Amino acid sequence: MRSYLLGTLDRDQKTQFEERLIIDPSAYEDLLLGEEDLIDEYVAGELSALERDQFESHFLITAERQKNLRFGKLLQNYVNSHIEESPVPVPAFSFLQQPARRWVSVGLLATILGAAGIIIIRGFVNRREAASVVQQSSSRVMTVTLAPGSAGTHGSTAQRVNLPPHGVEVKLELQLANPTFRNYKSELFRENTSLKISDALRIEAKGEQRVVPFTVTGEMLSPGDYQVKLSGVLDSGADEFIDNYSFRVIE
Amino acid sequence: MNKNWSLSQEAFDALLDWLDSDRELAGIKYEQIRSRLIKIFTGRGCIDPEELADETINRVTSKLTDIQQEFTGDRARYFFGVANKVHLEYLRRKTPQPQSAPADSARIELEYHCLERCIARLSEEDRALLLKDYGAKGRTQSERRKVLADELGISLNALRIRVYRIRTALKECIEKCIQDSL
Repeated sequence: MRSYLLGTLDRDQKTQFEERLIIDPSAYEDLLLGEEDLIDEYVAGELSALERDQFESHFLITAERQKNLRFGKLLQNYVNSHIEESPVPVPAFSFLQQPARRWVSVGLLATILGAAGIIIIRGFVNRREAASVVQQSSSRVMTVTLAPGSAGTHGSTAQRVNLPPHGVEVKLELQLANPTFRNYKSELFRENTSLKISDALRIEAKGEQRVVPFTVTGEMLSPGDYQVKLSGVLDSGADEFIDNYSFRVIE
Repeated sequence: MNKNWSLSQEAFDALLDWLDSDRELAGIKYEQIRSRLIKIFTGRGCIDPEELADETINRVTSKLTDIQQEFTGDRARYFFGVANKVHLEYLRRKTPQPQSAPADSARIELEYHCLERCIARLSEEDRALLLKDYGAKGRTQSERRKVLADELGISLNALRIRVYRIRTALKECIEKCIQDSL
């Protein structure tokens, strides 16, 4: 199925598949599901470099599929901006809950519950901070993966990012379709004002996906729309523009 | 086929009769054949698959009197044979493919707005399923789906079909929302 959609079946296999497609309802249903899967994998950056090429040159040939790709991107943007709102356990609670169950006496439990109560109150106060922890790794780093080609300054379609707490670094992972450069340069903008430039950035692998990491401090961000311009650095030292990435910081 | 030939209501009715004596079933068969032809032309890299599918159907319809006398077997197969001829002719006359213009930002903005509205109209169950299906970070789509199918106690294919239906309903809702907004 995948090979058919990416246009890599040989002629005989293709004819066999098409003959099945015209008379077998299950083959047609598989084809529809396969198209959606492929679009999702492309949007999520899960296709190999070769598959991406085949997807762009063969699969995306019709307006209908281009429209479906746009829908896939919109949906992914929406989901990315909403999963951050799901409840997340704060590490302090899990630390307290397990020893409490196993070891403490009733008196000690009461003390711990009292302490937990304070932490809960603090947790409500810092609810925004807790939500942001979704994207954190073990250190105080919040990771945000950005897909290329978002809607520029029109932030309502850009990925939403919770306002990072003070002291947290934000690692922007810029998804890359064709990793053809050795070094990359990123520039963060807000309303056409440059806030930070980093060069000599190197590609990182994230599963089958390639990203360029670009880290900024949380203090640099406040609610509003941001753009990141990604360029490849040629051996001559000159830059070659690759893509723009957009995100909106929300409270 | 005569280039001046066009599909009349009478010819179309004859085509439906040939596909099935039950008019409702014939209509379903017609739609199925057309949508599959579109996928076949798409798979062959044709930029205007709908036009080629319609050309195939018109060609079959214009020869229907002869076909009815000569052809026996699955009628869909006959369309496939004609589609191959239509495709060969397409390759001979193929013109450079125009690059489609990217959607402008106002349009994307509107699409996103409509998406939000349409997702809000989904049932809570469907909305949760959609978010779970696309949401879990650090996993590939296939890994996510396996976990989710296990959670729901359904097969992977059943989950794919369920998500596909939700997406299709969303797309239709968005199309309508956009039309209403323009």
